[in-house]
Amino acid sequence: MTRFLAIFGFILATAIAVVVGYLATRPGSRIPRLGDIAAFVMRYDVGGLPVGRLALLGFWFWCGWHFLAR
Amino acid sequence: MEQPPPELVVERARRLWVIPLFVPLSLLGGLFPSFSLTANLYVLFLGSVLMMAGLSSRTVRRPAPDTLGGGIAWWLLPLLVFAAVELSSFLMGSTPEHPTLSILLDPLLEGYLLRSLSYFGWLTVFWGLVRR
Repeated sequence: MTRFLAIFGFILATAIAVVVGYLATRPGSRIPRLGDIAAFVMRYDVGGLPVGRLALLGFWFWCGWHFLAR
Repeated sequence: MEQPPPELVVERARRLWVIPLFVPLSLLGGLFPSFSLTANLYVLFLGSVLMMAGLSSRTVRRPAPDTLGGGIAWWLLPLLVFAAVELSSFLMGSTPEHPTLSILLDPLLEGYLLRSLSYFGWLTVFWGLVRR
């Protein structure tokens, strides 16, 4: 039962993300696109160090390693 | 149908020229099984190259928005659902009965096709981040 709930939860989260992503692409939408959020976060610098950029690129690097290699 | 301005077409072509390169790289990556040394080295190599490209000031980047607006809160909805499921499964031991996303995806990623497609998705999103 809990396995079913977990699978349902992950599918639900994905489905909501797809719907929100679709709504974000509509003209005049107040919802920012995921790419715009990423670009906004990646602009964050601390003393010239691109902290936001390092964090997002590093997170995606880790995702690839975690799911495809480790 | 309205045509996009020529500079936008050129910019888009510049941004996308590298995507076809990911096809052979993904087909090759699909050959390396999880937990193998070759898979680790391959992902570390590709990730390092893209990481360096992403941190290089020579890479042309798309302009970022100045503000995001209140609509960003909608993105919290899928994030919170995902975090609740992942965290509760993790706290219950991350077992087949209480699976985290990794436990669910590992058997799927053993197949060559899904594995290659995952490599392609990973590289394409990585490139998208590099250009941001």
